[in-house]
Amino acid sequence: MSTTIQPDRILRELSELWVTFGKQDGDQSTGVLRACAMTLVVVADAKENAAEVGETLASLMRDHPSRAIVVRVLDDAKPELEARVFAQCWMPLGQRRQICCEQIEISSSNISLADVPAVVLPLIVADLPVIVWSKIPRLFATPALEALSRLATKTIIDSAAFPDAGSALRRLSQVASSGLVLGDLAWTRLTRWRELIAQIFENPDYSSHLPAITSVTICHPGENAPATVRYIAAWLVLCLERAGSRPAVRWKPEDCAGLGRIEFTTADPSLLNASVRKLEGSIAEVRVNSLISRTVFPEASDYDLLREELSISGRDAVFEAALARAAESVEER
Amino acid sequence: MPVENPFQDPLRFERRTPECTVVIFGANGDLTKRKLLPALYRLMYERRLAPGFAVVGVSRTPMSDDQFREKMRESVVKFLEDSPFDEGVWEGFSQGLFYVSGDVQDPELYKRLAARLEEIEKSRHTGGNVLFYLSTQPSQYGAAAKGIGAAGLARGKGWRRLVVEKPFGHDLESARALSRELQEVFPESEVYRIDHYLGKETVQNILAFRWGNGIFEPLWNRRYVNHVQITAAESIGVEGRGAYYQEAGALRDMIQNHLLQVMATIAMEPSGVFEPTAVRDERAKLLRSIRVMKHEEVHTNAVAGQYGPARIGGVDVPGFRQEPGVDPNSQTETYAAITFFVDNWRWAKVPFYIRTGKRLPKRVSEIAIHFNPAPHSVFGNHNGEMQPNLLILRIQPEEGISLKFVSKQPGAGMKLRPVSMDFNYGASFGERSPSAYETLLLDAIQGDATLYSRQDMVEASWGAVTPILEVWKATKFDFPNYPAGTWGPKEADEMLRRRGHEWRKI
Repeated sequence: MSTTIQPDRILRELSELWVTFGKQDGDQSTGVLRACAMTLVVVADAKENAAEVGETLASLMRDHPSRAIVVRVLDDAKPELEARVFAQCWMPLGQRRQICCEQIEISSSNISLADVPAVVLPLIVADLPVIVWSKIPRLFATPALEALSRLATKTIIDSAAFPDAGSALRRLSQVASSGLVLGDLAWTRLTRWRELIAQIFENPDYSSHLPAITSVTICHPGENAPATVRYIAAWLVLCLERAGSRPAVRWKPEDCAGLGRIEFTTADPSLLNASVRKLEGSIAEVRVNSLISRTVFPEASDYDLLREELSISGRDAVFEAALARAAESVEER
Repeated sequence: MPVENPFQDPLRFERRTPECTVVIFGANGDLTKRKLLPALYRLMYERRLAPGFAVVGVSRTPMSDDQFREKMRESVVKFLEDSPFDEGVWEGFSQGLFYVSGDVQDPELYKRLAARLEEIEKSRHTGGNVLFYLSTQPSQYGAAAKGIGAAGLARGKGWRRLVVEKPFGHDLESARALSRELQEVFPESEVYRIDHYLGKETVQNILAFRWGNGIFEPLWNRRYVNHVQITAAESIGVEGRGAYYQEAGALRDMIQNHLLQVMATIAMEPSGVFEPTAVRDERAKLLRSIRVMKHEEVHTNAVAGQYGPARIGGVDVPGFRQEPGVDPNSQTETYAAITFFVDNWRWAKVPFYIRTGKRLPKRVSEIAIHFNPAPHSVFGNHNGEMQPNLLILRIQPEEGISLKFVSKQPGAGMKLRPVSMDFNYGASFGERSPSAYETLLLDAIQGDATLYSRQDMVEASWGAVTPILEVWKATKFDFPNYPAGTWGPKEADEMLRRRGHEWRKI
């Protein structure tokens, strides 16, 4: 295996790729459309199923066409570094033209990881956002990932994959306060929950009772509260504080998958009793007093979560406030 | 004072909608089944509607709530586009569907409706917000509005709005009369005249393209633009709507409303803010600036056509006069091509060519901005390859934007050829675009009238087409004058040729 990569050669291969597409196209078809809205750097463990990562990226390209740079980290003590270039193409339904995005795959051993940022730098597409998605929890806050993050507009991690949710949130909060823009898929998983809660309180009849809410209960599986539970608790506290309410926000283990139920109660139950509950299958039930409505609530895949995160390349003030509050509450406990 | 919702997060999720009841008059009609209910169901599926959202269907056919729900379920399953039908979501959604039967002329209907709305307000906490949607025959609009007003339903605890489907009258006078009838009950600010063309994502994208980029607006005027072509072609015929279409014709059906709105979107001045009144003021101003033709100018600036029978792809296609419900001597135009001018400083003397028709070779809607050629030909003529720049805004299908410019061919010598730089809406944003009705219904529920027509806009566009309607009414056309499957009558080509232009070959 090689131990060096020449970015110039990669760039040359990329441009040759497009020339080849142009020639294949001939006179008959309507051509290949090159699409690029960002550089997406994915850092993944080489042991991880390459096909799964590839599939997520292929789906993402339709929503966020990008130059994807996949860094596959080999669990190897020897210095190893090599790269290959290819294209992800698809034919949109009912259209005559193929759309293609570039993909560069860099394989690096652990020990060579420090050399990767210098390789990535010249491969970044000019003037467009650079997003780093690190799928390896152990790399978080290491010099190699930090160097990559410094090149990026935003770094995305998934704190749900960290062994201890509390310490993960503390470390994330420290990194965020150093100025890096972060995204956390554990937070992204909460969007649909938050959306349903926001919808309930769009009704003035219900939002007028916000100051009267005395308790919020969040039910979750397992003994220890995962990052999503800590995030939603922190967010609810912040939102309710803005509405002039300081209820007891509690989380408790329950027999359910993922986040199970969020319930708002007031001292006088006739005023307001609202809950959002995940049901079997892909359905959520929203209950406000005696009114029940149901909505589709599928389990979010990596693709769904990434699609949402990639559409926000700047700072997300709501997330940052919830992260800071969640980290604070870890300290308090 | 309204309590602000502290849970909103506009960066992550769409605008939340208030609880409300949508009352659909004409609930047994085609539009309700094909467009309105599928759009509302889809909005619920996308979590855009509030938990207490309700629909009350109104029509003459006696039906129970459950029968109405079953009927709507069948329609949603059949006509839902680009999304799956989910039993769980439907179950919740259908609990909010109710039905009231009766004749729009009968005051008793509105008493029953009032009682139903009161029940719903209590049980579903809709806050008294009601959106009335008139999807009936246009001749019943006045009666429905009057009935709503007489029963006191136009006022209530929450907001009350009225959505009206086109046509807004069949000429300027009838449009004014309709407005008067509606405004006796609802203030103009609460009347939403729906033009589904404006709800199309790509039409809205024209505004984003023009006003969100700094480089195009300086070119967007008579100094650089040579002419504009707006095409809305349909490959199908009248598809069972012969009787209606015979009364309307292409000019009333497409140009007076949809295409003049598209032209206004292209040509209007940027508004100071993206707010309903500001945007609609600019749109209205542009429509009022369209030069109204003198009768003697109509023959040179407007071409009417009607398709005749033809054989397309091995299939015999009937002419318009052979379609069911159509008079065999019909003088109705199925094709119209008009040259409009805008009398303002930005667009003085720039022709806006608009064409639309049934049974044209393909279904396509687009706007082509033809720029002036380079002022001096440095490279010679190059066998006609020195074409002027062209900016194409495609509305359907393959929504997107293309810029055509000239480039050097690789190799020795200075050979030039036109190339196209394409932005494909679907390729750059893989997300499903909401249908025009989803967008417009949500806007009406939110009280955002930006994409709706206003009385002055409707009157201005009727004013622009009135002389053409009058002259065409008095003309005995030698129809049919184009075979089905072709690009319309040759007079339409001549109309452009007189100014040194030709229709784009799409």
